[in-house]
Amino acid sequence: MENQLIDHLFRHHSGKMVSVLTRIFGLQHLDIIEDAVQDTFIKASLSWRNQQPENPEAWLNKVAKNRVLDIFRTLKTQQNNVPNINQGTQSIAISELFLDSEIEDAQLRMIFTACHPKLDARDRISFALKTVSGFSIKEIASALLTKEDTIKKRLLRAKQSIKQQQILFKIPQGKDLSSRLESVLEVLYLIFNEGFHSNKKDKLIQKELCAEAIRLTQILLKKEITRKPKVYALCALMCFHAARLDAKTNTKNEILDLKTQNRCLWHVPLIERGNMMMHKAIETQTFSHYHYEAAIIAEHLKAPKFELTNWEKIHHWYLCLHQLQPAPINLLNMAVVCLQKQDFVMAKRHLDNIKEDNLQQRAYLFYATKADYFVQTYQLKKAIENLNIAIKKVSNTLEKNYLSKKRDALILKINS
Amino acid sequence: MKQFMMIFSGADYSDLGLSPEELQSRMQKWFAWGNKMEQAGVLRGGEALTPQIRRVSGENRTVTDLSSAEAKEIVGGYYTVEAKDFDAVEAIAQDFPDYDLGGTVEIREVMVFDK
Repeated sequence: MENQLIDHLFRHHSGKMVSVLTRIFGLQHLDIIEDAVQDTFIKASLSWRNQQPENPEAWLNKVAKNRVLDIFRTLKTQQNNVPNINQGTQSIAISELFLDSEIEDAQLRMIFTACHPKLDARDRISFALKTVSGFSIKEIASALLTKEDTIKKRLLRAKQSIKQQQILFKIPQGKDLSSRLESVLEVLYLIFNEGFHSNKKDKLIQKELCAEAIRLTQILLKKEITRKPKVYALCALMCFHAARLDAKTNTKNEILDLKTQNRCLWHVPLIERGNMMMHKAIETQTFSHYHYEAAIIAEHLKAPKFELTNWEKIHHWYLCLHQLQPAPINLLNMAVVCLQKQDFVMAKRHLDNIKEDNLQQRAYLFYATKADYFVQTYQLKKAIENLNIAIKKVSNTLEKNYLSKKRDALILKINS
Repeated sequence: MKQFMMIFSGADYSDLGLSPEELQSRMQKWFAWGNKMEQAGVLRGGEALTPQIRRVSGENRTVTDLSSAEAKEIVGGYYTVEAKDFDAVEAIAQDFPDYDLGGTVEIREVMVFDK
């Protein structure tokens, strides 16, 4: 008997159903809609225990359609302003709203709503994970390393903002589209980074967040209106990063840098997919920062060994990135690249251009890089001084240990 | 061989705030368990129950309607299985998927009357 459902079928379908039902009833009824959808999955989980339907998606859609009537009844008894179905959906029959292309359209509307610039930046991520991705409050909290209460507050605040700002459940058109799309990409990249950079023991949730960000980006690519070069570039960037997820830490969950990563663990299909995306991304004259970031990581992935990395090219892409979007972290990265190239003059120039304050919690990286510069130019005392500052500024214990070891080795070297 | 009933009780799924993902994985565990029993040829029947409760009790036939949240712990369903003894059913009950949600399996033997 066939008993393997598609992975995450319920989760993904929850996002679809919430979107379609919102298109019918409007954002103001989101709470009722979410309850109704949740109820559908509880029913499914009970009734599928013994016998799973032949076409689970069709089953879920059918139940969702029946929910429409239930919701209507609830709204009527609450005397809540009941939408006129014919008006609200431009006379499209309910069953047509459950066609694949219409589901995608509704999902896209939900993505644009969740990533609306009028919502607080932190609320956007939580709200998107809840309504578009079908995560529960508990799952969001654990993915974002935040308390459940905080997530509840963020969701509530997002819903209030939607009401107060009268945000419409629409795909922006014309001039607005470009800036709104920018905001969507930003949120998707943040979701990805939450997964990619979190150092949780639980690798599964990391991967799920990364996969979810990629899946949402692909929803954008399915629709012509949002199928833009920078969306392809972001997708490529995510694929390239995700390909290294398994190689990023060792068995003790310690972070490994590119030099020490086992390159055999890099996931080839994802790299290939990234390359495909990159191919489409460059069919344009204007490159976004996603283009350059993807180009940098692609260059790393091309090198079969760390020693064979093409630092020249990487430096070039960082320069482009810095021109487009000046940031101290770019200068720092370029300094690191120059040290790899043993171009100490250039490295020093980049380092001198950095104002430490602008790096905030990454300031320790600045001092650690300076220390590297002084080690390579045989100024060990200065190197130790900078390592001491770096150790004082770093908060992560693993990194602190790593830097301390490095400093102690230098002290030994000086005294011998 | 004797007939036994495994009666499941605990909190109702709708009161636990389970995510769609969790519901799917639980459902698949239940499905796998049912399949396993079926293949072993021990499964005789079973039902799942909806969470609404109407209780009639006492001399006066007092009627109370309870929601699952008020009752906190309710019977969610049962399976009837054929087995040698309690120990054999206990072994089957190891695969019950909801222990981690505070669920309980009560094993009872179906009484046989002399003909």
